[in-house]
Amino acid sequence: MRWLIAILVLDLVLAGALVFNVGEAQRADLVFVSGGGHKFLDPQLVTWLDDIRITECLFEPLVRIKLPEMVIEPAAAESYSVDADGLTYTFQLRPTARWSNGDPVTSSDFIFAWRRALMPDSAAGYSNLLWLIDGGEEFFKWRQAQLQAYAKDEKNNLAEAQRLLDEAIERFGKTVGLSAPDDRTLVVRLARPIPYFLQLCAFATYMPVHRASVEPQASLSIDSGRLVQDPYWTRPDRLICNGPYLLARRRFRRDLLLTANPNYWNRAAMGNRSILERIVTNPSIALMLYESGEVDWLPDIPSTSQLAADLVSAGRRDVHVVPGAGTYFYNFNCQATLPDGAVNPLVDPRVRRALSMTIDREIIVKTLGRLGQPPAYTFTPVGAVPGYDPPVEAGARFDPEAARKLLAAAGYDPQQGGNHLEGLSILYNTGFGHELIAQQITRTWKKHLNIDVTLNGQEKSVFGDRLDNHNFIISRAGWFGDYVDPTTFLDKFESSNNNNDAAYSNAEYDQLLKQAAAELDQAKRMKLLRRAEVIMLHDQPIAPIYQYVELNVYDEGRVKNLNPNPWHFRRLELVRVER
Amino acid sequence: MTRLIVVRLIQLPVIVAAIFMITFACAWMIPGDPLARPEAQRPPQEVQQAMRREYNLDSPWSFLGAYVKKVVTRCDFGPSLKFRDQRVNDIIASGLPVSALLGVAALIVALHLGLAAGVLGALRPGSAVDMSSLAMALIGVSLPAFVTGSVLLVVFAGLLHLAPVGGWGTPRHLVLPAITLGVMPAAYIARLIRLGLADVMSSDYVRTARAKGLSMRRALFSHALKVAFLPVLSFLGPAAAAVMTGSFVVEKVFAIPGLGEHFVNAVLNKDQFLILGVVLVYSVMLVLFNLIVDVAYVWVDPRIELS
Repeated sequence: MRWLIAILVLDLVLAGALVFNVGEAQRADLVFVSGGGHKFLDPQLVTWLDDIRITECLFEPLVRIKLPEMVIEPAAAESYSVDADGLTYTFQLRPTARWSNGDPVTSSDFIFAWRRALMPDSAAGYSNLLWLIDGGEEFFKWRQAQLQAYAKDEKNNLAEAQRLLDEAIERFGKTVGLSAPDDRTLVVRLARPIPYFLQLCAFATYMPVHRASVEPQASLSIDSGRLVQDPYWTRPDRLICNGPYLLARRRFRRDLLLTANPNYWNRAAMGNRSILERIVTNPSIALMLYESGEVDWLPDIPSTSQLAADLVSAGRRDVHVVPGAGTYFYNFNCQATLPDGAVNPLVDPRVRRALSMTIDREIIVKTLGRLGQPPAYTFTPVGAVPGYDPPVEAGARFDPEAARKLLAAAGYDPQQGGNHLEGLSILYNTGFGHELIAQQITRTWKKHLNIDVTLNGQEKSVFGDRLDNHNFIISRAGWFGDYVDPTTFLDKFESSNNNNDAAYSNAEYDQLLKQAAAELDQAKRMKLLRRAEVIMLHDQPIAPIYQYVELNVYDEGRVKNLNPNPWHFRRLELVRVER
Repeated sequence: MTRLIVVRLIQLPVIVAAIFMITFACAWMIPGDPLARPEAQRPPQEVQQAMRREYNLDSPWSFLGAYVKKVVTRCDFGPSLKFRDQRVNDIIASGLPVSALLGVAALIVALHLGLAAGVLGALRPGSAVDMSSLAMALIGVSLPAFVTGSVLLVVFAGLLHLAPVGGWGTPRHLVLPAITLGVMPAAYIARLIRLGLADVMSSDYVRTARAKGLSMRRALFSHALKVAFLPVLSFLGPAAAAVMTGSFVVEKVFAIPGLGEHFVNAVLNKDQFLILGVVLVYSVMLVLFNLIVDVAYVWVDPRIELS
């Protein structure tokens, strides 16, 4: 009987474990499923969409975007004004704006937070968004040089690191265009007029943090001299926030519960008192949870998945396809020589344009995209920026006949004694269906232009590295705008831009961008930017393929005020769910 | 037996250390920079070097030294390089009980199903019951977990609404995942029991007992099963390993927040500390479990002497 006892003991162990591990999954007013865990909840560090979504619930910036109108409205600041030169913004903070511990939100909280973003120590993903503050970029680079010198000397001296930090803080106060004449007033001086600055103020990087509790949770690293923030400051038991919600509970890779912040000034306008974010990486399970009624909204169904295609083709009323403010495209390497020293056949814009004209975008979105993605002929997506009309007419329409003529003119016509266009390859990252689009395109090129192109699939981080180093001939790429202005798309192709993977350089283009940056009249500015895009499209450093779309699954009759839009602007605190 | 336990406990750190060194060597060689943040401005070379020194990632020897010291003195497995606001201890603390519970439940399901199928088949050898339980065993071994799990999910959760749709938190959430994970070891156990019983039942002493009037049932349960169970007991060691490492797939299918996904994703993310922490925990658990199985083996059958 001993073996029977052994089994019974095992049963008892299980029963005991079950008893102690019991916990009821909580309901909340709004329940949604997020596709991935969180990297950070620190507003100055977040770059990923699912992190930004939560940060927007926990922290409140100076202004917010009103939906569905997509206009600026006051938030932590009750009023703001801008000088005639468009350089100086003055914000008056709301007297009722409070942190969750009752402390008033002050202008020094904002300055402290923006300083955190501007210091290279924190490696903030969007620190460059603050470079448009007067002195911001110079300060960043100065501190970067300070840290570089410290690391180079391998001083490893805490006192020295502290001295450098004190010097940096003093320099920040003196050289960066931020000042707080009093606790409720914040004055920002920009390096140049930025028409969309208020929009940026609504973005996560510009959110305040509770200085009194966050500042002590940073310490100096003796190795690098950096001021390193203790990442645990965003834990539920330590986080002090000024947004509509508190972080009630966070279970790693499981769920995150937000409950209404009793000290939020606009509590009365909130449409719900709690939000539960369930983390489920498997989209099929997410859909089953939604259909069982446990979940109200699915914002993260991957658009490349078969599930997304099935949902859209089923024509369900609760599946909402929203065009995104982003473009799927191919980069062409525009440098004179390739990384291996060979002459780059794509340096000639006629060749690039010919290739782009031989991409059948309609077929791609119909058979591979399958979500009704609009084919893209411009880099700025159509309809994404109100007041800007992308020059679709300058794009490369599908015209293989004209493409062949262009190639011939560029000297690549074997039948006329020209060279054979060869040595082309498409670089892409594996695992997301990009190979299918690449295969379709190479097939079309072979059919109409008789050229052979190899496919080169790489793992994501290797792919990213190669893109950064311009180590490709043609590569697949995608880009989402960060703020509602054409420059979020067009700046990418400015010669010195960090993200100019195609290494495109056109002096006239750069000049137009510069002119636009100095132009205060919005209508004139848009015209200048349009002219720039026409030039860029004529040169085709990239071949736009389609405009991204997002899938949102929710019942419009029950979930109100969600207002999906191309820019992922969210006001989750205003969402009302009727049961 | 005490000697067995003591010897095994002395061997434990040696085995774990060997596993650790091999894992560390492999993890160190994974290409890519774990500290890189592609979305941020890349810091100058010297600063990157200094940041690596902060985490002791500049040289394998300094990493080893610092790591072993922290683990041994404070049981601190370090920070996660991918999930920057989590420490490895927290990740393991949140995931391990979940995976362990799932594993134990799966083994219990396996034992119950396997024993039942094997015994039923042995009671009526050659009958329809016997053939069908053998067929089920074959299916159980052949079907991968993501197929079994998905089918169970769709049928019992999606269509019949008898089980929750994935997730974790109540005993009900345990049922389908435990069955999915337990089906394969159950199949092996059924086969082992069935064959073992057939073997023992045809041995001389059992045939003598039966000839003297002992009922089939008594012969089986009071005598044969004890002997036929021994191979199952020794199978439990590798079964535990399979269940622990196979939990990744089941956790993915049922959206269970266990340790399995970290076991796999930590490598893809080149998250040094998480890789080592999870491997250390798993290897200690596996070695301990094998020790328990060996002890149980000796305890169940005092004739056995493990040298």
